[in-house]
Amino acid sequence: MPTPEQPSGRTPRDELAEATAHGALYLRRLRQRQLALSLLALIAFGAIVGVLPLAIDIVPQLRHVYILGIPLAIWLLVVPLPPIFLILGALYTRRADALDDSFRELVRRR
Amino acid sequence: MIAILAVAAVTVGTVGLGAIGTRLARTTSDLLVASRAMTPWWNAAAISGEYLSAASFLGIAGLEMQNGITALWQSLGFTAGYLCLLLFVAAPLRRFGSYTISDFAEARLRSPRLRGLASAAVLLIGGFYLVPQLKGAGLALNVVTGAPYFVGVLVVGLVVSLNVGLGGMRGITYVQAFQFWLKVFAIALPACLLLIHLGGLPARAALFGDKYPSVGAKGAVVPLSGPQAVTFPVATRYTIVANTPGATPRTLHAFAGEQTTLPPGKLLLPPHEPVPVASGTTALRGSDWARPVGGSGERSPVFVYSLLIATFLGTMGLPHILVRFYTNPDGPAARHTTVRVLGLLGLFYIFPGIYGALGRVLAPQLYVTGATDTIVLRLPQAAWPGTVGNVLGAITAAGAFAAFLSTSSGLLVSIAGTISHDVWPRLSRERTTTGRVRRLRFRLAAVLGMLAPIAIAFFAQGVDIAVLVGWAFALAASTFCPLFLLGIWWTRLTAAGAACGMVSGAVVATSGIVVGLVLGEPSGVGGALLAQPAIVSVPVAFLAMIVVSLRAAERPTPDAEMLALHAPEGLDLPEMGVRDPFVLGESATRTLG
Repeated sequence: MPTPEQPSGRTPRDELAEATAHGALYLRRLRQRQLALSLLALIAFGAIVGVLPLAIDIVPQLRHVYILGIPLAIWLLVVPLPPIFLILGALYTRRADALDDSFRELVRRR
Repeated sequence: MIAILAVAAVTVGTVGLGAIGTRLARTTSDLLVASRAMTPWWNAAAISGEYLSAASFLGIAGLEMQNGITALWQSLGFTAGYLCLLLFVAAPLRRFGSYTISDFAEARLRSPRLRGLASAAVLLIGGFYLVPQLKGAGLALNVVTGAPYFVGVLVVGLVVSLNVGLGGMRGITYVQAFQFWLKVFAIALPACLLLIHLGGLPARAALFGDKYPSVGAKGAVVPLSGPQAVTFPVATRYTIVANTPGATPRTLHAFAGEQTTLPPGKLLLPPHEPVPVASGTTALRGSDWARPVGGSGERSPVFVYSLLIATFLGTMGLPHILVRFYTNPDGPAARHTTVRVLGLLGLFYIFPGIYGALGRVLAPQLYVTGATDTIVLRLPQAAWPGTVGNVLGAITAAGAFAAFLSTSSGLLVSIAGTISHDVWPRLSRERTTTGRVRRLRFRLAAVLGMLAPIAIAFFAQGVDIAVLVGWAFALAASTFCPLFLLGIWWTRLTAAGAACGMVSGAVVATSGIVVGLVLGEPSGVGGALLAQPAIVSVPVAFLAMIVVSLRAAERPTPDAEMLALHAPEGLDLPEMGVRDPFVLGESATRTLG
């Protein structure tokens, strides 16, 4: 994260604590990065979940192919999505924690 | 008999754990948010336990049996709601440090009037979400013991009031966590054993082929307590034994599509005969039943997408869910808790679908009265008559009661918190109160808050559970969801904008559902949108909030609030958010940095 200019003798933490223009800038940048990360995860989620109902509706073969005696369309509805939610959530949490960490490092730096 | 014992055991266990919690709950802060000292696993199990309600435990399987596999989109949406919560709400809201949604509304937008509006919405959503839980309890106790409807409503209402009033949230967190695992066990064990016993899914023609559901090789006897209007999907031979004394059995032939009203008494169906369905429901062939999307009505793509949006955004707006995030120690812990919730809910929702599918084959007589909502309770006996079926049935009954008790407890904590924390001080206009008075108020509010839902549950016996749940979700999605998303991430939101958005969202959602009810739930895309108005009302609420906020004369400068929402922990910054009013000992003290 590029550092805004600092007046000598002051740490970013002081800037934040006193809610100065620099502090506000640091925080805005963090907020924007967190929001961008969340929106990215939302788009990934929306692409996967948004396509599935349409795909099942449009492709009739999904209903006529049977696996273990159950139509493929039902397998697609029941099996893949919950693990995908979990993986997406875990990945997001790791990135979001990392963004917080790098912000903390920036603010603590002397 | 075993079932009664199981239900009693769950109820006593809940009260017992609550009593242990009572000994631990000393301060008001303990009562409200368990002093924020729960680990992510405890919190995740508690959140999931609180979330899995009558709609999840009984409703999804019943809806699946009635409308087909398409009902399973609902459980996907219920899970996905937590992903949305994780991405946009969990960590910032926890960091902000307010106790309730009303606290957030007032502190973020510096408006006591907005607090009043938010409190009203909490009471409305919470109250209306309580009604279907009590209703489910009344129906379930009736199935298990034959007790009249009002007994179940009163039992659950009383137990929950006592438990919340005495233990508050600290007791509740342990109780909820315990009840989550009880529910998973209660729905998973019978499902797995039944599948093994039956050797997989039986009678695939009725599930996936071109057959209507039909009774088994022994025929079926369906008791009818009142006159029952039914439709016969195909030509059927049936026998009626009326309740009137001296009536002789009459054997009749129905033609395909015949509609008739059966008298009270018994309906006898010969072996392998397709069952008639209650009027107002549609008999489905296997291939239609097994189709996740496609066609019209509840299976149309428009309805599926609308449902997904409503559940995805509605979850975050349920007041009893958000309040629980305050028991996390900090923002990252709130994130980690939510990820665990995604896993736990995914585990639970594997199982309800099995009951709906097996029920279609093994208990088709439920179609005659339309009582498919009770399939989770009735399936074990239908599939495995004898002692094993009775024991498994007792297990699902216990799980269902855990569902009613835990969701009602969570809702009542929110309602009582709002009454004692917001409504009461406002009405009595006093500024200083002691901790003892506040604890007493919370306990009284736990009793008061249950009275109205119990009364409504008595009168709303005929109102569909799905209608009430759908309304609560739509209302939550169109009031609190935009308030949180914009309030947390958009600096230009104003109090006036938030109020306009919440009111217009609530009005559009409510009028959609009322119009749908008045018109008798019309079919087609329009009817689907009236029954599930969130896809319209949520954008309306967002738009109103944004437009009104942008027209404000001066730009708001919520720097301190944004710092409190988004600054990571461990910076030793001076406290910026709403301070804990109980730690400071004065509920009027709300310091913004």
